[in-house]
Order: sequence, then structure tokens, then C-alpha cells
Amino acid sequence: MSSLLEINNLQASVGDKPILKGLSLSIQPGEVHAIMGPNGSGKSTLSYVLSGKDGYDIGGGSMHLDGQDLADMEPEERAIAGMFLAFQYPLEIPGVTNMTFLKASLNAVRRGRGEDEIDAAQFLRLAREKARALGVDDEMLKRPLNVGFSGGEKKRNEILQMAVLEPRLAILDETDSGLDIDALKTVAEGVNALRAPERGMLLITHYQRLLDFVKPDVVHVMANGRIVKSGGPELALELEASGYADYIDEAVHA
Amino acid sequence: MLDAASYFEQVKQALPGDVEARAQALHKAEALGLPTRRLEHWHYTDLARLLKKPTQENAALVATDFSALNPSEVRFEGGVMQASDDAGLADWPALSLTGAEDASDAMVLYNQALAQAGVVLELPEGGQKTLLVTTQGSAPQHLSHHTSLARGAELILIDDNMASGYSNVAWDIELAEDSKLTFVHLQQAGRQVATSTVRLAENATLTRLNLLSGQDIARHAGTIALQAAGARAELHSAILGTDAAHNDVTYVIDHQAADTQSNTTSYHALAGQARGVFQGKVIVQRDAQRVDAQMQARAMMLSDGPEMDAKPELEIYADDVQCAHGTAIGEIDADALFFLRTRGLDEATARQFLITGFIEQVLDACDHEPLVASLRAHIETKIATVLGQGSAS
Repeated sequence: MSSLLEINNLQASVGDKPILKGLSLSIQPGEVHAIMGPNGSGKSTLSYVLSGKDGYDIGGGSMHLDGQDLADMEPEERAIAGMFLAFQYPLEIPGVTNMTFLKASLNAVRRGRGEDEIDAAQFLRLAREKARALGVDDEMLKRPLNVGFSGGEKKRNEILQMAVLEPRLAILDETDSGLDIDALKTVAEGVNALRAPERGMLLITHYQRLLDFVKPDVVHVMANGRIVKSGGPELALELEASGYADYIDEAVHA
Repeated sequence: MLDAASYFEQVKQALPGDVEARAQALHKAEALGLPTRRLEHWHYTDLARLLKKPTQENAALVATDFSALNPSEVRFEGGVMQASDDAGLADWPALSLTGAEDASDAMVLYNQALAQAGVVLELPEGGQKTLLVTTQGSAPQHLSHHTSLARGAELILIDDNMASGYSNVAWDIELAEDSKLTFVHLQQAGRQVATSTVRLAENATLTRLNLLSGQDIARHAGTIALQAAGARAELHSAILGTDAAHNDVTYVIDHQAADTQSNTTSYHALAGQARGVFQGKVIVQRDAQRVDAQMQARAMMLSDGPEMDAKPELEIYADDVQCAHGTAIGEIDADALFFLRTRGLDEATARQFLITGFIEQVLDACDHEPLVASLRAHIETKIATVLGQGSAS
């Protein structure tokens, strides 16, 4: 069986500072993986390197989505291939309404996938339906993208984009950060609704809290730029009890 | 234009009003000469030098559709009123030289000497109107417009400039108590010097939107006098400068009375070898307490070539005021660009989105939906036409 995401011995650095130091990970279709780890272990770097942000030097190893080599693909080509990153800090884009942005984004992805563009009426129906499920009202759809949105609204908006774009692999970078319990539940429901046999998810989180609501199939511990331990959901509970100290030492001394 | 004296000889018989007074204005203008960088408020726009540059072609004129506003229309070409669907507008009175005695700006004096025509509009108490003024053609033109709004009157005034030649345009505007003016100035072509003076009485509101996207020369200078409590000015400018465009927005905002407000912003998006200028001077007179005056100049540099000069100033003589000014000049935000690209938008389209979003902030202060929709459509088409590449829909 071919993996949805296959990362093999990936190394990445910023300037002369190595951050990912031989990371390997594979996600099968339908699986939800969680990566946990202390601050500075390289979790966010992994999400940026996978989605194609500038400024990282790939020093070695490989990453494939659905068998396609990601290394030389632009961020938008990766999006068309089915990659989606829900940002830890979603950006505010003044002057561009949420609706305009969502439609342009969906049509760009559809064009890239060789599908017909969706017309305005169809899009409106689709966006409203998906938005309602996430508690995003019409007012939020009409406002400039993320401008003046609360932390919870921004995160719900990220999940809305994911629901509209229907990616093959969704990376959620600290989606739980800055959310109160109600907002976390809404976001988690949105994420759970998108679990599907053909879709993979990678949850990047510092705390176990999100995993109470979105049950992962596999939990990885990341430290010092590598996956240092993998296990089932029980590993997250274990970490919550004992902290990351053991893993930091292990990674440094390995 | 460069030889104003012989031009005056040529046209003076056809000019309305007192020819002798015009000759005097011309004499004073010629003594001052075209403004140069030695004058403080012309420091970044050396008009004498700029006018010697060859005229720039404007390839990308985009007609703006204001039909949803159902405006009255008046059209000027070569300084002559060509057509008006509103007879009241055509009665151009004898030239008024009010203020000419102490006019120290050569461009105002040239306008007074040479103005051939203009709109004269007196809106009565409680009156409402939407007026579209358009200019076309390539012949030089000098226009002098006068507008007054009586108590409670509301006017939407759109000055849409597509003329490709030299023009010198003056607006003199009087806003009585509780009146409301929304004044939009578009310039897509030509070399234009526009000077406006607006006086606001108690609770009068001015919303001024400048949208400048020509590739040649634009100098838009405004003097706003807030003369009584409750008067409020919203002054917002968006500039798309490409090629060798020179766009200058200069305001003097004079808070003469207590409890007056002003909010001034400018958004310059500059590419090529374009030059952008923003000068804004807020004056708060003695005893003008509780004034709220905000001023922000922002510029987005789209390449390494352009230059931006921003000079916001505060001159405050009262002690209980809230005034702030700031300037921010930067490039397109790399993180925002990455964010949009992760959503499938190619780089050119993502850039276009960010530029459009930046420019459209100019519309934030306008609450007239059909007008905002017309201007938004104009901005989006203009940016797509000028910057080419991606599609913003």
C-alpha cells in the first residue's frame, strides 16, 4: 500500500542552523497522526517545510504526497496536490473579503486539478453550508479575511477553508492554541467531520488537550528535529503525566 | 502651458469674467513662476522640472461605471463644457477672484487667470444630489469649480479625470451646518494639478476619496478648514503608481474650532520608477480643544525602483487634544503571500490580492454602498489591467 505522506530522513535548516535532523514519518490514507513535542523541537518548521515556505534549506532526505515529490513544488502546486496547512497564527488580509478569498482559492485549486470552476451561486450555497456547520455566520464571510477576528474565529475560519478545499492531507499547526474550551470543541467537531477514509491529518500540538476531542490513530514525540518515539493514543496521556523532559535528554544525547 | 502669457493672449477674448483681473492674476503667477522644490510644500514635486518631461502615454484607462448612482453628468473637454444633462450647472458666473489678492500659490493664480469653465452648484437647504464631472481629451484645460451646500444638503460629487493632457483644476467648496459631501476624485491620465479648498460649518461632514492611478503627473492639494464644532473630515487617498508616475497628495487640515475631527490616510502602492508623495499638516488652533486628528501614510513598494516621500506634520496650539500621525513603508508581506499561496493562489494572483486589499482600505470610511461597489470594481479592474498577470476572481 502506498503512503499518503511519506517523509524519509528529512533534513532542513535555516541559514546554518539545522532544525530537522533526519525526520521520518509515514501517514496512510484515513489516518490521523499527532506530533507532540517541546517548544523548539521543530514542529512548526516541519509544517512549513511540508507546505513549501521560503527560507528553509532542504539538506537531505525526501517528502512525497501521494507519490509526488514535494521538494521542487511551489506552495500553490502543493495545495493543488492536496496539501493544506491550518496556520497557528492565521494572517489578516485587509480589503479582501473572506468570501472573495474562499471562492478564488477554491477555483484556483479546481483549475489546478483540471476540474471546472464553480459559479457564484453554487459557491454561495457551498460556502454557507460549510460555514454554518462551523458557526461561521454570513457577517464573518463578508468581513475582510481574519481582520478583527477573535482567536477562535480565526481558527474556525481555517477549518472552514479546509472544509471548502477538501485536501488529501491536512496539517493543523497548534490549532488548539489560544482557544477556550467552547471554541476548541467547535474546531474539533469541524476537524472530526472532515475525517475520511481517503484523507490524512497531521495534528501538531504542544498539549494533549486537543487529542481529547480529536482522537489520533498514532502519536509521535518530536524532539531536537526528529521523531523520537511513536505509539498509540496512550502515548499522549503518558506525556501529559510525565512531561517532555525524558525526551529532550534522550534526543540531545542520542 | 509652459508659455502661459501667449496662451492667455490667444484665449483671453473667449474667457468669461473680468479680463483685467485675469491679467493681474497672470502677472502675479508669472512673477512667482512654476513651483520648484525650493518651496516647502512643493519640495517633493518640482513642477517646473516635472512638466519638462515628455508626456507619458496612459495605456490602461478603465472606465468606471457609476450608473447605479444615477448621477447628473457634466463633461469637459479642452476646458470647455461639452454636455450637461442639468441646465443649472452651465450658468457659469463672472470669474470670482476672491482670495486672489493674497494667493501665494502660482498654480492657484494660473487657474484664476486662465480658467475657461467650471461647475457652479449651489445645493439648497435639505437638497440631495449626485453629480458626475468628467474630463476628456488631450488639449490643456483650466477649470474652476464652485460648490456650496446649504444646511442639511447632501451631495455625492465625483470628479472623474481621463483627460490625457495638462490640466489645472480648482474646487472651492462651502459646507453649511449639517451638510454632507462625499467627494471622489479619480485621475487615471494626464498631468494634473488639482487644488481644493473646503470650509466646514457646524456638524458638516466631508468624506474625500482620491484614487490616483495615472502614469504621468498628479498633484492633489487640499486645504480643509474645520470652522465649527462637530465638523468632521475623512480624507483618504489610494495611489497606484507604475512606470514613471509622479503622484502627490498634500493636505493642510486646519482645526479652527473645538470638537472637530479629522481622519487622514494614504495608501501608495508603487512599482517601476514611480514616485509617491504624501504631505499632511494638521493644525490645531488655540482654544480648539477636544480635537481628534488622526493621520496615517502607508506605502507598499512593489519593486526596488520606486520612491516614497511621506511627511505628516502636527502643529498644535491647544492642550486637550487627541492627535496622532504615522508612516509605514514596506514591501508585500512575505508571510501573507505564503498564506495565500498555501490556499492554491499562484504568486501573481496572491500579490494582486494583497495589493488590491491594501488599496481598497481607502473605501473603509465610505458608507454609501453603491458608490463603494463602483469604486471597488474600478480598483479591481484597474489593478488587474495595470499589473496584468493573475485573475482576482
